[in-house]
Order: sequence, then structure tokens, then C-alpha cells
Amino acid sequence: MIGYYLKRIVSALFTLFIIATLTFFMMRAIPGGPFTREKPLPPQIIAQLNAKYNLDDPVIVQYFNYMKGIATFDLGPSFKELGLTVNDLIRQGFPGSMKVGFVAVMFIILFGIPLGIISALKQNKAIDHVVMVMATIGVTVPSFVVATLYIYFISSRISWIPITGLSNPLAYIGPAIALSGYSLSYVARLTRSSMLEVLRQDYIRTARANGLSEFRVIGKHALKNAMIPVITYVGPMIAAILTGSFVVERIFSINGIGRYFVESVNNRDYTVIIGMTVFYSALYIVMVLLVDIGYSLIDPRIKLGRKSGD
Amino acid sequence: MSKILEVKNLRTTFFTHLGEVQAVRGISFDLDEGGILGIVGESGSGKSVTSLSIMGLVDEPGKIVEGEIFFQGTDLTKLDHKDMMQFRGNEISMIFQDPMTSINPAFTIGNQLREVIMAHSDLNKDQAHERALELLKMVGIPDPESRIKNFPYQFSGGMRQRALIAMAIANNPKLLIADEPTTALDVTIQAQILELMRDLKDKINSSVILITHDLGVISEICDKVIVMYGGMIMEKADIKNLFAHPQHPYTRGLLLSIPTNVTGKKKRLIPIEGSPPDLMDPPSGCPFSPRCPHAMEICLKKAAPLFKISETQEASCWLHHQDAPEVSGMVKVEGEQS
Amino acid sequence: MAERVVTRMRNPDFELVESSKKMNKEQTRRSLTYWKDAWRRLKNNRLAMVGLAGVILIILFGVIGPWFSPYSYSDQDNRFTNIPPRFEIYAIADDGYVFLSSQYNLILVNEKGELLDKLVRTNMDAINKIYTYDYEGEEIEVDFKNRLLEDDGGVDIKVTYKNVTSIYPTKTVSNKTFPWGTDNLGRDMLTRIMFGARISLTVAFVATLVNLIIGVTYGAISGLEGGTADDIMMRSVDVINSIPLVLYVILLMVIIDDQGLWTIIITLGSVYWVGMARLVRGQVLGLKEQEYVLAARTIGVSKAKIISKHLIPNAMGPIIVSMTMMIPSAVFTEAFLSFIGLGVSAPMASWGTLANDALAGLSTYPYQLFAPSIAIALTMLSFNFLGDGLRSALDPRLRKG
Repeated sequence: MIGYYLKRIVSALFTLFIIATLTFFMMRAIPGGPFTREKPLPPQIIAQLNAKYNLDDPVIVQYFNYMKGIATFDLGPSFKELGLTVNDLIRQGFPGSMKVGFVAVMFIILFGIPLGIISALKQNKAIDHVVMVMATIGVTVPSFVVATLYIYFISSRISWIPITGLSNPLAYIGPAIALSGYSLSYVARLTRSSMLEVLRQDYIRTARANGLSEFRVIGKHALKNAMIPVITYVGPMIAAILTGSFVVERIFSINGIGRYFVESVNNRDYTVIIGMTVFYSALYIVMVLLVDIGYSLIDPRIKLGRKSGD
Repeated sequence: MSKILEVKNLRTTFFTHLGEVQAVRGISFDLDEGGILGIVGESGSGKSVTSLSIMGLVDEPGKIVEGEIFFQGTDLTKLDHKDMMQFRGNEISMIFQDPMTSINPAFTIGNQLREVIMAHSDLNKDQAHERALELLKMVGIPDPESRIKNFPYQFSGGMRQRALIAMAIANNPKLLIADEPTTALDVTIQAQILELMRDLKDKINSSVILITHDLGVISEICDKVIVMYGGMIMEKADIKNLFAHPQHPYTRGLLLSIPTNVTGKKKRLIPIEGSPPDLMDPPSGCPFSPRCPHAMEICLKKAAPLFKISETQEASCWLHHQDAPEVSGMVKVEGEQS
Repeated sequence: MAERVVTRMRNPDFELVESSKKMNKEQTRRSLTYWKDAWRRLKNNRLAMVGLAGVILIILFGVIGPWFSPYSYSDQDNRFTNIPPRFEIYAIADDGYVFLSSQYNLILVNEKGELLDKLVRTNMDAINKIYTYDYEGEEIEVDFKNRLLEDDGGVDIKVTYKNVTSIYPTKTVSNKTFPWGTDNLGRDMLTRIMFGARISLTVAFVATLVNLIIGVTYGAISGLEGGTADDIMMRSVDVINSIPLVLYVILLMVIIDDQGLWTIIITLGSVYWVGMARLVRGQVLGLKEQEYVLAARTIGVSKAKIISKHLIPNAMGPIIVSMTMMIPSAVFTEAFLSFIGLGVSAPMASWGTLANDALAGLSTYPYQLFAPSIAIALTMLSFNFLGDGLRSALDPRLRKG
């Protein structure tokens, strides 16, 4: 069991290493340096800047310095936001992203899973149809549309709901809806189909044949099995959501890392792009790792170190 | 001998979106207390649906549309869900075909056994645990103290079937229904499981319905047999008569097509030509008539009643009618019975 | 079996029937090929058919639509900027009507809702909130004081022409010149959306095709080779799979830094093939043990031929389903990229770009956002319905009954 966790941790570190390397060389492959402007800077200034940021070293030396930085959690300076480092930006943005992400994840777990279960138990009844139509719309309408519709129809008309920022608790509703809309709907659909699949299983018939109450058959025997694929999806999803969505943070003017990331993309602020990518990936990989470990506690088969199917 | 189970004119239909599938079409039979009744037939003959109907476990869109099922005088078809729960796993238990899928992979064997015990008794968790250990010992699982903590994936197929049998007999049921209990197992394990079932039946003093497509299995432990085809009963007989002189062309066909030579004579295997009827649109007459070598005009129009051949044998075949052509081995019966 | 016929009065009911006759009675389950059966099931699935119809309509909309449009996606008419699809008109003369746009441009229209011209503004009295426009030498006064009051008593603006004041609009008409309105440069929204459909769908289809080719080849080789090759290939897939791919799409877009159609296609195509590769590998692993594949191998058929002749055709069901699901997610990703400013460059526009452009003016010109949003949502919906239907039609586990 320990061996399994160790293996997972090593492979996560390896993945991260590949990501950092890949990102570094991808950004170095861009023609022109980070100081290329529409109006070219004088060569001596570029030389000065290059020296300042050690960009005049050979690429391989830069690479090692960069990797050393990552190992010590130092993602380097921003080239555009002068005086700020990538770490500063992450420190500024992360709390906002986390808070909105957390609310969104709660929405998904508290609404998505129960709706899916209800839908499965009332298969082909009116409530099932309603939930599924909503869920289908939920997975087909992009988050930026949900966000803008929310602003247009709700927060701009109801004065006590703030339109932007995170000034009071109500302000979280819009971003959390926009952020969770897709995943919530997806989780509801997944829970439903997984539940239906499980309810068809022979062991459910066995449980019924043993005279167990319907409450136990569904609440115990079906639920635990039905949750396995849902958890598999929810794990990486939590990772993706907690890191914030670029679009939602932009629309709701939330100071999150997603917003900084989009800004750095638009400004072509290369160090920030690399740094954020590495940070996002690290966060994602760590979250997936944590979920995997939690998952192995639920599904007994995984303890042997093999995954039950992909 | 008193009857523990009486099924009267049972009719179970599945209302699928493509049409009605008439899985069981008006069958009647009974089971003596302490008896072992075999129900034999190929897949789609309605034998499994019959057993699920008794258990009240026919899933949507299936429904019992007609008939009565008396268990010790109580008509199970009239019971509501809650009352039926008191019978299931308690008075009547069922063992299913595939032990690999019939046991919940997410809980330990002990957990699932205790649950069944506690659902139908006042035992507390510790007492239930003791009982579970006892049951595992009874079904021949070695080292029950450690095995009880195992998850199903740590059990082999035969062991799982033993565990499932343990669950089924946990509350000393009066009736045990086993639906193809050995089909998914290796041949060597099959014999062991049959042996175990016979032993346990005597120990807990219950009656058994054994559903199978395998006449070999039937011959080993049953005392009476029902042969089903296309949702109807083709022949009812005690085991001796069925194997010695089958009175239905389908039963004959079955006996000729089994590889182990139960009848003691060496013969070539003869397959039954054709395929089972489409239950969505069953033949209006005898369901076997399209494949029957002796099909007559009347067979295509009207299903035969059960002709009483002897005290212990009945067959639903027009060949027993006075007007039918003579076929060797087929007994003619005066008048029509049942 | 020997039969002995008895000589006695024969009851016709008990005549033996000939085998040919009774065989007619035997159930004849229509034998359908896999694809015919799948099509039959798909046809019976109402939602799937709605999806299929939607997909066809959207494709026609993008492919044929622009031919019927009098405008091109880049035609600007700076007289008619930000004109909504429906507006209120005020009568000024016998056959003259005007409409006041959100930008306080007075547009001359006719009764049917065709836009005629923009009237020249001659005076702006911002204090009294009265603007004056010139119409054929005469003045039109527009008093919009009430517009800003909470309690307007139903009065929006007052239009005075030749001393006749209209307080209430004559009626609300649909924009006949630009049915879906215009954007901030006076371009026809309908035409832009149609061209947007071309771009969005081209990106989606081509990117999916690229994914398909890479994914199927990779997965098939991995599955068929097995052993170490399979191990290495699947390890790589695992690594790629544990990277948040959106980031890489963004990174690639930044690096290529040429906001053309092909950049997006290549980027999307090169990143999202992993799922397909896994799926195909799984299928191939199951199929390669089948007798017909073993038979082909023993007679020395080349691997490429085994893949193309035996494996892929048999794995086609799940591949098609997965493809149908890939298309909407490509539409989605493209819209998302455009929305954060990495889409195709102006004046071309995909639906995402259109939505992004509309964001700034959302509170005033919501229709500019609704049109592309609805287009995206309908596309996603149609493909999803179709995909769901295909999944259940092609799933062998559901084929009975």
C-alpha cells in the first residue's frame, strides 16, 4: 500500500518535471526575446535587461537556474509588471480563486450528486426529465454565457447583489454558478447514469432478494458503488475548479490567478505564463494525487496497487 | 405431504417499448414440503422469470399480470412491498447464477452477511458476527475468522457462491430458490456446490427449487422436474419417469442433445433444429411446434393441455390425444386432463 | 424416429404438417447488419433525431447561409451601428418613421422596419436632454428626459416634428434590413454569425479529424504491438493526461502567435487526441484476440492492413460516438479561447470572438451576446443529443430488444 502511494508520488513529480521542462523550452522557442516591442528598444537596453534577468547565459544554464527556482518555489520575476514576481501575483490571486472555487465545488457536491440520484430513482418520471433537461442545458451553455446572462438578468437588476468583485457573500453566487454550471450538470448526469447502471447489477438484486429495505439497498449497496465513477471525475474537476476559471474571474472582475493568467497571456508576459502554467499544473497534479489516495480508501480493489479499469 | 408452494396460472409479461414480451404464459405447479423441484429449459424459456416472480423481484417493465403464488397459504402476489420484504431472505431465499456479479464488491463478506442476519432477527452486531462465522463454517469456507474480513475480490468464484449460499440460508428459509447456481462455476466446483446444497437443505429443513438448463444437474439432486419452453410448461414428472420415458418431444430432444449420457446408452448427440420462439410474438399454438418433428395442424393453432400420463407425469402435447398419429413411446390418454 | 401411422378415421387437426409449413411459423427475427440496426435504433430516438436535424441545420446555416446574405462579414455601415433586431418607431410624417438608437442616433425607417438613413444631429442640449436632428430641412426634436426617470408613466421619449409631438411609439417592428441587428461597426449580425458558424465548425471538424487520425493511429499501434511499446506509449499518454490541457492550448497559441484559423486547429488537434488513443487501444486489445484477427496474422497480413481492415472497422461504433462528443467540446474550447482573446483575428470572427466583442456592451446591446451564445448552445445541444443517441444505438450491451 505504501509502495503504491510512493509510486504515485514519484510519478507525479516526474510529470511535473516534464511539464516544467516542456514549458521552459516551449517559451524559449518563441522568436524574439521577451523584450521585443513594436517599437524596438535600443540594443544596449535589451542587453542590460538580458543581463539583469540572466538571459544572456547559455540556454542550458538558464534552464538549470529555472529548475532550481522551481525546486525552491521561486517562479521568477514578471517582465511586464515591474517589481512584481510571479510568486507575488500568485499570492495575490490565489485566495480569491480558492474562495470562489470552494463555493463552486460545494454547489456541485450538494446539488449535482443528489439531483443525479433523485433522477435515477425516478427514471422517466417528470422530475427526471426536468433535471436532465436542465443538466443538458448546463453542459451545453458555456460558462461565459452563463456569467453574462447572470449579470444581465440578475445582478444588474437586483440592487443588493453586487455585480463584480467579492465584496459580500452574495457576490459569490454568480461566479460560483458560472464556474460550477458545467461540472454540476455533468456530475448530475454522471451520477444518474452510474446509479442506473449500478441498480441493474446482480448484487442489487441479491440485496433485494435478501429482504433488505429499499433504503438500505439504495443508500448503502447502490450508492457506494455508484459513487466510484463520480469520484473519479470529481477529483480532477475539483483541481480544475479550485484553480479558478480564467473566464469567470475576468467577467466578474475577481482578482484571481485565472485573471492574472489571461492578462499575462494578453500582455505576452512570458515568465508569468510559464510560472502560472507550472503552478497550475502542480496544483492540478497534487489535487489529483490527493484524490487518488482518497479514492483508494473507498474502492478496496485499488489497495492492491492496480486500478480497476480506466 | 403438504404443499409449501403452489403456483397457479402464473403469467408474467414485460411491457417493453418495443412491445409486450410474454415471458411466462400461464403456468401452474406446486412444491411439496421438503422436496427438490427442478425447472429445466433453455435460455428464454421463462424459468428465471418464474423464480423472480415468486420472489416478487420482477423488475420494471415486467409485471405479474395474472395468477397466484401461494406460499404456506399466503398469496405472495397480493403482498405489498413491505410485507414481501419479511419473506425475502427470511422465509424464501434465492441463490443467483453468477457469483462474480451477485455479490457487492464494495463491502466485506462479513458486512454483507451480518446485514442479512440483522435484517430479519433481533441479534446485535456481535451476535450477528458469531452467526456469520457459523454460517461460513457451514458452507465450508476455511478459516472463517480471517475470511470474514475479506472483500469479494479476494474470493474465488466457488468461494463467492458459498458465501452467497451462506447469505441465503442465514435465516433458515423454508424455501430456497437456486437459479443456475452452478452454471458459472468449474465442473469440479459444480459438484461440490450441489453436494453442499443438498446437505444444507436437510440441515435447515427447507424445500428447494433448482433452476437450470442442465439435465445432468437435475438428475443429480432433484426428485421432480418441470420442463419449460417458450414460457409454458411442456412436461411435469418425477425424475425417474422423465429420464426413462419422456412424454414430450421437447423433453426427448433435450435428452438426446445432452453430452453426458444420463440415459446410460451411447448415442450420437442430436441437436434440436431451429431456435426458441420470439416471446414478443409467440406462436399461437404450442410454442415448440415450429421445431417439433411431429407437429400437427392442431399444434400450430392451439397449445395442448396437460395430459395426465400417470400419477407422477403430465405432458402438454397433442400426441397424447386419441386422434393423434401413433408415435413410438408416446402414451395415449383417454380424455383431456387439467 | 420411427413413426407408425394408424389406419382409422383421421381428424384433420391431427394431420402432421410439413416442415416447410411450420418453418414459416418459426420466428424469423429479421437479421439486420450492425449499422442498419444502429440506424433503426437511432431513428426511434426522438432526441437523437432532433439533434441530427439540428446538426444538419447548423451546417447548412454556415455553409449555404452566407450566399443568401446581401452582406459580407466585414461590410460596415457606420450609419447603422448597434441597431437591435426589434425597435420602437415613432411616426413623424405620413410615411416617415424614426427610431432612436441607444447611442442617440435617430434612424429614419419605414413602416415595415427597413432602415433608410441616419439623420444628422444638429444640436445636443445635454442639460434639458433634448437633441435636435435634421430631416429634409425640418427639425426633429427628441426629448428624452423621461427615459431617465423612474416613474415615466409609460412615456419613453417625445418626438416633435413640425410641431406635432408623438409621446408614444407607433409600434414595435422587427429590423428588416438587419434581422439580427448590427454590431458596433454596423456589421450585420446574422451574416457575422453565419460566417462565425463556418469558422467555429471548421475548427471543430478539422480539429476533431486531426485528433481522430492521431488518436486512432496511436491507440491502434499501442494496442496491437502490446508489450514494451504499449507500456511506453501508454505511460506517455498518462503523463499527457495529467497535464491540464487548456494551459497547453493557451501556451501553444501564445507561442505560435499567429491568430489564424490554422493555429487553433493545429493546437486543438495536437492536444486532445489522448482520450481517443485510450479508447481505441482498449478496443484493439479486446479485438486483437478475436479469431479473425489471429487468422489474418497467421497468414501474414501486415500490421497496417490488420489495423485498417480488421481492427478499426470493428471499433468504429465507439470511435464515432467519441467523435460526435469531441466536436461540441472543440466548439466549446474554440469559443473559450476566442473569448479570452486568443481566437481568430478581426475582421473574421468565430462565435467566441463575437461573444467576447459583445461583452463590453452587454447592458446596452444584450442581443449582440445572445445571438452567438444561442448559436453555441444550440450547436452543443444538437451534437450532445446526437452523441447520446449514437451511444445508445451503437452500444452492443444495449442491442437486445
